[in-house]
Amino acid sequence: MSEPEGNSKQSEAGAGLMQYSAEGMMPFGPVHPSLKEPEYFKLYLEGEKIVQVVPRIGYVHRGIERAAQERTWVKNIYLFERICGICSFHHSLSYTEGVEALAPFEIPRRAQYLRELVAEFERIHSHLLWLGLLGHWAGFDTLFMWIWKDREHILDLEEAISGNRVNKSYTTLGGVRNDLPDNLAEKSRTEVNYLEKRAEYYKSLVQSEETLSVRTKGRGRISQETARKLCPVGPLLRCTGIARDIRDEDPYAAYGDVPPQVQTENDGDIASLMTLRLNEVTDSCRMVKETLEKMPSGPFRVNFPRSVPAGESTFHVEAPRGELFYFVKSAGGSVPERVKVRTSTMANILTATEMLKGHTLADVPVVLTGMDPCFGCMDRVAVVDVDKSREWTIGGEELRRYGIEYYRRK
Amino acid sequence: MSSEELTTLATRLGGTLTPGPRSTVLAVPPDRVIDACTAVSSMPGWYHLSTITGVDLGENIALLYHFWQGRRFVQVRTQVPKSAPRLKSISGVMAAGTLYEAEIQDLLGVAFEGNPFLGKKLFLPDTYPPDAPPPLRKDSDPHKIRKMMELE
Amino acid sequence: MNAASCNGCDIEILAALTPRYDAERLGVELVPSPRHADVLLVTGVTNPMMRDRLKTVYEQMPEPRHVVAIGACALGGGVMKDCYGAGSGIDSIVPVDLYIPGCPPRPEAIIYGILKLVLGAPPDPVPDGEAIVK
Repeated sequence: MSEPEGNSKQSEAGAGLMQYSAEGMMPFGPVHPSLKEPEYFKLYLEGEKIVQVVPRIGYVHRGIERAAQERTWVKNIYLFERICGICSFHHSLSYTEGVEALAPFEIPRRAQYLRELVAEFERIHSHLLWLGLLGHWAGFDTLFMWIWKDREHILDLEEAISGNRVNKSYTTLGGVRNDLPDNLAEKSRTEVNYLEKRAEYYKSLVQSEETLSVRTKGRGRISQETARKLCPVGPLLRCTGIARDIRDEDPYAAYGDVPPQVQTENDGDIASLMTLRLNEVTDSCRMVKETLEKMPSGPFRVNFPRSVPAGESTFHVEAPRGELFYFVKSAGGSVPERVKVRTSTMANILTATEMLKGHTLADVPVVLTGMDPCFGCMDRVAVVDVDKSREWTIGGEELRRYGIEYYRRK
Repeated sequence: MSSEELTTLATRLGGTLTPGPRSTVLAVPPDRVIDACTAVSSMPGWYHLSTITGVDLGENIALLYHFWQGRRFVQVRTQVPKSAPRLKSISGVMAAGTLYEAEIQDLLGVAFEGNPFLGKKLFLPDTYPPDAPPPLRKDSDPHKIRKMMELE
Repeated sequence: MNAASCNGCDIEILAALTPRYDAERLGVELVPSPRHADVLLVTGVTNPMMRDRLKTVYEQMPEPRHVVAIGACALGGGVMKDCYGAGSGIDSIVPVDLYIPGCPPRPEAIIYGILKLVLGAPPDPVPDGEAIVK
């Protein structure tokens, strides 16, 4: 697809929210996890300010929804949890609970509690991962190293309970795969107590540390009105003051018995996202302890039929990034007829493009990371200078260093 | 909105209402979809558009607009025939639906008139074989597609 | 390089650089550009959009250069094997010197693999578990 010439760049920028054009982009680098769709962004600049943002996605489109139609119900768990390595458990959880809704029997209470336990582990690990990466992009590598070291505590717990640090395959149709050993309950309490203290420390750090606050306060601001129009999910929604959380509104697993305290912030900027996510980590630690305390005894798994009764099921969970939506349709057979996945980042992309407008290039790494994207987006962005009708590409690492230098000079 | 109000809405739009355990389904003809979505999303308590799902039903393609209110799902549902898979895009009144429609354009070959991505690809690679059916259609064969794109 | 992966492998690669595993003490450093790199770590199934990118990145690397395929997807497609958007292993696109299996492989496995590649032989295991680099 050839690029329009000269002044038509201005019309390209102004002609609507989404104008797509292909570019020789090279997104690479292990910086962010990817969903179905890691992407790069095309930024239209007027002077120093970004006026328009056009995402190009599809770098990780693999054809999972189609493949799911040829795999049995259980095999699909292993497929869906590898849509994303960071919220992998939530994918398998949403899928299994969606399928179980089609079956006419109850899942054991103990299994539901164990699911909640691991779901909250995953939330803690995901938010810590995000904050560490935000530190890296803002030039605060020490924060990145410290947080990722602390994050290892949660990964130890996840590995101890399920056997894998990342793609846990812990939930299965009918319950969970392993029971919780007694010593693990005690170890979990010790580790989350430690992490609670660390979360408090990091919260005071991010609020006072100038390197971070100068780059995050007032940046990437979203209003409630934008949120209502563009329907973002998760922390991005809650940082505008709208208190919506699927665990609270539509409890699944054991969230009816051990509910979250829905966290909100009011400023809608990246700084409030940091505070919000750290508050969610603290709340998740509380929920882990409460889940362990209230854990019922009993079976952790029941037999699930090989063929699932015909029907349609709409299910969503609150993944660390927000609402993760699954639609499952069964024709009564041993393979699904249709599974539709709408990941949280997909719902946030439009809001992310709004967040970037009005900022300078130097702000791009931090603002984009602020939405906690699930893609290798940061690795290449295309920049279009509308006035000079110039176009060039810039690498993620260059952008990161540019941002650090820019703020150092300020 | 109560069930009575939804039933009245359904009748007014020439559709049907089917309550369900998790989703209340409001089925309408394709040309009334925008009216239905606008009515549902302006109900008190702010209906959040979760996503739009496309399902290949054989002769027709069903389009499901999932709205979440805070206690339940309301699903606006319609069908377009495979022989003429077109309808109007809601991206003009509901920007949130833009990417969801674009996904269905790519994967099921339905055209949403007015969607900025119409005629362009959002997800699918540029090398996707032009004579292969859209990947989520029942008659598409992933193995053949892989061979055509030289992935085997 | 993330060639269409779920990034489970990518976060384990990153974790290998963090204090608990600390690959940097062994002289391993992530560089931003293929032109500065000796070794290319590739994860993912290489969907059609990424195949040419992978080739280009490989060609930008100065010799001597090595490629390490990390994770089941890069080895042979992994769980995505017959998805319409998934390739069948990166060795059909670029020559691979080392394969590190896992889904994802642990950071220790990644470090072990890289050391094996660099030293030409597996590092000596030491009774108390700390590897010594000759």
